Amino acid sequence: MNPNDKTAPSQSESLAFEWDLPHAPEKVWRALTDPALLAEWLLPVFGLELEPGTAFTFKTQPYPGWDGTVSCRMLEIETHRKLRYAWSVPFLDTDVTFTLTPTASGTRLSLVQSGFKPEQKREFGGARYGWAMMGGKLVDLLGRSA
Amino acid sequence: MQAATAAENKIFQALADPSRRAILQALTRGEAAVKDLTARFDISQPAVSQHLAALKNAGLVAARREGRCVYYRVEARGMKPLVDWIVHYRAFWTEHVDRLERLLERMES
Repeated sequence: MNPNDKTAPSQSESLAFEWDLPHAPEKVWRALTDPALLAEWLLPVFGLELEPGTAFTFKTQPYPGWDGTVSCRMLEIETHRKLRYAWSVPFLDTDVTFTLTPTASGTRLSLVQSGFKPEQKREFGGARYGWAMMGGKLVDLLGRSA
Repeated sequence: MQAATAAENKIFQALADPSRRAILQALTRGEAAVKDLTARFDISQPAVSQHLAALKNAGLVAARREGRCVYYRVEARGMKPLVDWIVHYRAFWTEHVDRLERLLERMES
């Protein structure tokens, strides 16, 4: 288990991480929002604008049945503090939220990727339930049967 | 992960129906025959059978015949495509933020 993994059992619809970085929030923010820098650590990004509601894409290597496009939409921006965008790949719609909190030594970076949005497609009701189940009995069963 | 898309779609479709979710939930408490489930829910036996067939097709339940009775149980491995998805993103973010940390070291403040 990753020591930075903050996913609580009750948050089975999301993945949560925290990192303490010895860098100022302004610098971390640049790495999260400058396309040239994003391409260096995350993925090549196209059409990124720091405007809520705007669409942009990340590109990763294609797989059979998927051209490798991650479709995103900017949802929330608080300069140097918070960045939230929709992150969609075929059949999986999630939100990714980066939160930057100044600390004595730099920045605490929190990253939450939260689960499916059931209103978007009929299947997502099932997906959300699937997530919830994974946090409960099915995970126990999986552990025993794997 | 992407190769699992068809499997994920089947799972989500199977779980999109509230009756099927209720049946699956009931099966997490233990194996049951169609007649047990029919008694527990206010659904006809053919409807229960149909829901079980959909769950079975999605790989979420397995069946075992004993005499004239068929017993159904949860097939926990059926959720594997969803578990894979979590594992994928856990690894993805961990690896990429490692890269972010190295990039921040190189950047000017």
